[in-house]
Amino acid sequence: MIEFHPLVKQLLDGELTLADLPPELRRQGEAALRLLAAVDREPVTLPPAVDARVMAAVRRRAAAPPPSFWRRLVEPREVRFRLRPWTLAPVLAAAAVLVLLLGRPAPQPSATPTTVRFVLFAPQAQQVAVAGTFNQWDPAVAPLVRTGAAGVWAVTLTLPAGQHQYAFIVDGARWVLDPAAPAVDDGFGSGRRNSVLAL
Amino acid sequence: MSGREAATDGAVVRAVLAGDTERYAELVTRYRDRYARYAARMLGSADAAEDAVQDAFVRAYDQLAQCRDPDKFVGWFFLILRNRCFAERRRSRDVVPLEAAGSIVAAERPDGTMETAERRRALQLALLELTPEQREVFVLKHVEGLSYGEIAERLGTSVPSLKMRMHRAYDRLREQLRDPA
Repeated sequence: MIEFHPLVKQLLDGELTLADLPPELRRQGEAALRLLAAVDREPVTLPPAVDARVMAAVRRRAAAPPPSFWRRLVEPREVRFRLRPWTLAPVLAAAAVLVLLLGRPAPQPSATPTTVRFVLFAPQAQQVAVAGTFNQWDPAVAPLVRTGAAGVWAVTLTLPAGQHQYAFIVDGARWVLDPAAPAVDDGFGSGRRNSVLAL
Repeated sequence: MSGREAATDGAVVRAVLAGDTERYAELVTRYRDRYARYAARMLGSADAAEDAVQDAFVRAYDQLAQCRDPDKFVGWFFLILRNRCFAERRRSRDVVPLEAAGSIVAAERPDGTMETAERRRALQLALLELTPEQREVFVLKHVEGLSYGEIAERLGTSVPSLKMRMHRAYDRLREQLRDPA
């Protein structure tokens, strides 16, 4: 691969100007700026029909009570217990989520919070987080920390009873399903899936 | 200006959660176009962006009760849209024949210098060959005009890791856009 000189990358980042480059890099710098000049910054305006379609879907949902957590679990069209490890990068060859039901011997629905330990094997990751319906899908809220075992990241969260959908985020950007947990369709019929945890 | 027009995101979210479903249209109208360009560049077409934004709004409604800070609805919505865009690209990467689109670009190439529209299209196609993570940081910085610090805050990551991702993106773009001659 032909790589840009590090100073040219700084030029592209806006940290240097063309005049800051040594003469032998000016031509490469000019070519790099031509690349950026081709960036399409034209605004994109969506058709008004988007509003109508969103609100039609919202009204349908408001009119129908949301399916109960237990019903969603037993409806085969809603929940498919299929693992897709091939969607993971090779570094994520193995992963597991361990659910520790502390102080509650019977796995029955309960209003009491449950302590859940999320564990991910990601030996080459620089940072790992878990995001889901329990933290508004915010990758900044629940970072995993390295454990004593090499490549193993973990975090313990206290979650309310119910169904939670989630995914791991590796290095701040790569969203991956948990292959050790069931994956549930996100309900839009387009095949997108999240890992699911029922407490 | 009426009170409703001036309502904050938080006030609208709370009204919707209290049962005034129709108020959700205010949020849709307010933000439908804000991230449409982000979605279009991430997915490669305005049509795909339209689907993604629409799905993200419906998904946000479904999960609205979990929006911890209603006054920061738009940041929370962005993360839902982002998740949708990443999932879309993962799915479509295997089925969208990008090579076909590339041949269109090649066919339209005039002799001599490349036209602006062609350059734009070539860059957009090259962006689609990046990883979603690389493409995202490029789009947020060079299309949306955010700083590394603003991107890091929005995505919950560090500036050094973003720069590393971006610099790899620069190299891959250079490789793909080099003149075959």
